[in-house]
Formats: sequence, structure tokens, C-alpha cells
Amino acid sequence: MQRKSPWLDSIVLVFLIVTAVAMMVPYLWMVVSSFKSNMDIMSGQGSFFPNHPTLEGYFTVFEDAPFVKWMWNSAISAVIITIITLFTSALAGYVFAKHQFKGKRILFMLILATMMIPFQVIMIPTYLITARLGLIDHLAAIILPNLVSSYGVFLAKQFIEDIPQDLLDAARIDGAGELRLMIRIIAPLILPMLSALGIFTFMNAWNNYLWPLIVLNDTDHMTVPLALVYFNGTHVINYNVVMSAAVLITLPVMIVFLIFQKQFIKGLTMTGMK
Amino acid sequence: MNKSIEAGNTSKRTFDKGTTRSYQNEKWFVRIALAPILLLFGVFAFLPIAWSLLLSFYDYSPLSNHAVFIGIRNYALLFQDAVFLKSLWVTFKFVGITVISNILITLVIASAIYAIRIQWLKNLFRTLFFLPAIAPLAGTAIVWTTILNYDSGLFNVILGQLHIAPVHWLSDPKYALLSVIMMTLWADIGYNIVLFIAGRDSIADMYYEAAILDGANRWHLFFFVTLPLLRRTMLFVTITTVISYFQAFPQFQIMTKGEPFNETRVLALNIYDQAFSNSNMGYASAMATIFLIIILIVTLIQFRLGRSSWEQ
Repeated sequence: MQRKSPWLDSIVLVFLIVTAVAMMVPYLWMVVSSFKSNMDIMSGQGSFFPNHPTLEGYFTVFEDAPFVKWMWNSAISAVIITIITLFTSALAGYVFAKHQFKGKRILFMLILATMMIPFQVIMIPTYLITARLGLIDHLAAIILPNLVSSYGVFLAKQFIEDIPQDLLDAARIDGAGELRLMIRIIAPLILPMLSALGIFTFMNAWNNYLWPLIVLNDTDHMTVPLALVYFNGTHVINYNVVMSAAVLITLPVMIVFLIFQKQFIKGLTMTGMK
Repeated sequence: MNKSIEAGNTSKRTFDKGTTRSYQNEKWFVRIALAPILLLFGVFAFLPIAWSLLLSFYDYSPLSNHAVFIGIRNYALLFQDAVFLKSLWVTFKFVGITVISNILITLVIASAIYAIRIQWLKNLFRTLFFLPAIAPLAGTAIVWTTILNYDSGLFNVILGQLHIAPVHWLSDPKYALLSVIMMTLWADIGYNIVLFIAGRDSIADMYYEAAILDGANRWHLFFFVTLPLLRRTMLFVTITTVISYFQAFPQFQIMTKGEPFNETRVLALNIYDQAFSNSNMGYASAMATIFLIIILIVTLIQFRLGRSSWEQ
């Protein structure tokens, strides 16, 4: 459609290659640094590549820290949060989209309004509530407040509204209960939206830093991002150790992303979620 | 959308009249389904908002465990607090610079990727630019802290090779905020690149064909076709980016801790420190209220601006 200009095309390509390589430099630095030995770092002459590449850093991570425990904490809490959030979002979305009851409009508006509230605004009372429930230093403290998502409810309502009413009526006449209706008929129809919501809920739970920082102090109960920072504080000089931990943490997320890339990008553009 | 809701309602009503039993079932379903969900929203969203507002009128420390009502004194103190005023300024500086650079950079990169004709190459670039966005921000912040380290960091190693004096990236007041901005942009541009590419994808070819018939060149096409038609995407991208940058926290807490001389003490960090390091929860709540008001006003302004430019 546009006139072809090989000259301009190559400029664009060169520009993209240069910026993309520049974008990869911090990752390269992270991987390369993780193979540095304590000697390389102590010698004081900073250089990009290690003189004596070793796995020291990786060994120290597993010896000095309950690394596997941290991964498990992160994984289990993120999985629970994701599954329950998907369920509560779909359920509330269904109720708000296809049922009539008193106060529906105002309730929905209230839930939507919470989307505008930055977490820093509610973190102090949320901490006080969590403390009163006796959950400080328990994984439940990071799971419980994250089981509902106002954006999830909003998305589910939007998508469920598009499902024809006749389809639901027909299923009801056939004797399907409401819950069965939701799981058997509605959930499959909004599956693309649910998978997008699921991916982003999982990512946010896995990457969350501020809330775990407030409620988890005990090293054994920490989640990965929090533990990484704590670990950084105890290994200030030997940054090869921290870089090894960073590699171990980033790798699974990257693999998951590369596998689900298509759904991920589609979900992002469909929902605008971050 | 409203139409479909109304259509749904009417068909439901005629259906309900016929079967009272299933109407009763539905009523119970609504109650049972909503109860736990509303309870969670109530305890972890509605209640904290009200509590936070209330707390801002108290002098409260979780250590002493009793709260003293002091009216608007927290707010009065805030506006004499040089650190708070500075953190307001730093927040706006950070958000302003980072959002504008983010949008310019992502618009350019997205257009460049869009111009690539080979599909797999297009996807490869999109993936490469998106990768940093999925890593935990806390991890990214630590990696960048070592990159910016004075003695052994990558940046100063490169400067050394070029025989330029090393820079205290994170402790020089001139560079600290800039360093965090750099890191934030690296970690975050992937999202907006993807959104802009998708926005550009949805512009129909006919606009470009018509413009080319009228003799438009590449620059005309970009400024008079692409940009105006990207307005919706632009509004969405701007609002979400502004809101997320106002709340930026891990990079500040990990990389600079607000130093040097509070040059990087953004509001989000200031609230956290007051509440959880100084146990000054009433005061921190007053700050949080101001923070909320700022976010609401900024969002409202953007919606207004966005709407008026659509309608014209």
C-alpha cells in the first residue's frame, strides 16, 4: 500500500536491532555476573566478563537460603489466588450481567470505584485488619486480600452480557441449576477472557512486592521477590550470589511467558490489563 | 451495550413470570454467590478506604495502641513538612518525565516494529521489547542496582573504557532520579509497545489509501492519519501509565531508599516509610488521602481532555 523504500526499511531495521540489543544488555549482565567468582569481584577491577567463571553463586544460593521454600511459597499462593479470583470474578460477573436484584447498580458502581484506589491508600488499614485477624507472617495474609478483583468482575460482566439470554433460558428449562449453568455454559464461552485474567492475576501475585514486604517478616515465609531483596541485603558485596538468585527467579517466568506468549499478548490487547 | 442489557431484562421478566420456582432459585443463587464476594470486597476494599480517611484525623501508632483524635492537625502539619512537599514535587517530576518519555519511545518503537514487513521478525522484536515487563520489578531493581554500582557496575566500567570519570548513579542528587527513570522505562515500555501496535493494527487501510491519493508522504501519514486515529489507544495508554507511575514503589525502595537528600522520595515511598518505619500511621493516612485526591483529579482531567478531543 505504501511506496516501498528499501533505504528507509533498512534504517528502521538497524534502529530496531540496536535498541533491542541495548534492551538485552541488563539481562546479559545478570547472566554473566551470576558466573563470576568471588575472586573476580574482590579483585576490584570491574570487567564485563568473569575471568574465572564458576557456579559458586548458584551453590551459595541453595546453601545459604531456603530458596526452594521461597519458590514454593510464591507458587502456591499465586496459584490459589489465581484459581479463586477466576472463580469469584466469573461468578460475580454472571450475577451482575444476567440477574436482577435490588441495589445491583449501586453495588456494581461501588466495586468499580475500588479500581481507582491506589494500593498505598488502603495498605495501612489493610495491614491493621490483617494483623487483627492474626495473619501476619502467614501465607494467608497475602492470599486472603487478593481473592477478588474489581477489574476481573468488570471484565467478566462485560463478556457475559454478550451471551444471548435465550441460551441460558434454554438451559434452565432443561433443568440446569445456576452454578452448573455458570460452569458448563458460561465459563467455556468466556474462556479467552478468563485465560487473560488468569495470566495477569498470576503474574501480579508472583511479582507482588509491597504487600508481602508489609506482612511477611519471617525469612521462611517470604515470597520470591521479597526474599531476593532480603538476600541482597545479606550479600551486598558478592553480587554474583544475588545475580544467580535473580537468574533462577527470572528464568521460570520467561519460560512460562515464551510458552503462552500468544495468549499473553492477545490478553493484554483484549483487556488492557497490566 | 445499554441496549443489550435492556433486552436481557425484558426477556428475563417474561420468563420469570412463567416459573416462580426458578425465580426463587435465582434469588437464592444471587444471595449465596454474592455474600462471600461482597464480604471480601467489604473487608479488604470498602472498610480500608473508610478506615484510612478516619485514621487521617488521629494520632495513631500501632506500638502505643491507642489513638488520639486530633482533627485536621495531620493535614496542617503536612503542609509545613518540607519532606512531604518535596516528595510531592519529586512524584510529579518522576511521573511527568517518565510518562512523556515512555509514550514518545513506545510510539517510535511501535511504529518501527509495525513497519517491518516480515512477520516472524515483527514478532521477535515485540517479544524482545516485552521480555523485561514480565520479570518481577523487585528483581529488576536489584539487577539495575548492580549495573549502576559505583565501583563495579556496568555503566561505570563502560565510562572507564571511554576514559570518562565514573558517576555516582544512585547517590548523586543530579543522577539518582534519572537512574530510576531509566530503569523504570527499561522495565515497562513493553506494555505500551504492544498496545500501540495493536492500536495501529486496528486502523483501516482505506484511510491511508485515501491520504496517499491526496498526495500525502510518510510524515503526513504519521501525523495526520496515524496519530489522530490512535487517539483512543493514546488516552488509554496515558491514563494507565500515569496511574501506575504514581504508584511506582519497588524501584525507589530498593535502589535509592529515597536518598540522596530526598531527591527520590516519591509519595508512595514516603507513605510506606511513615507508616511502617516510623509507625506514624495517622500522619501516613493523611498523606494517603492527599495521594488519593491527586490521583482522582489527574484521572478526571485526562478523561476530560480525552473526551473533548474525541468529540471534535
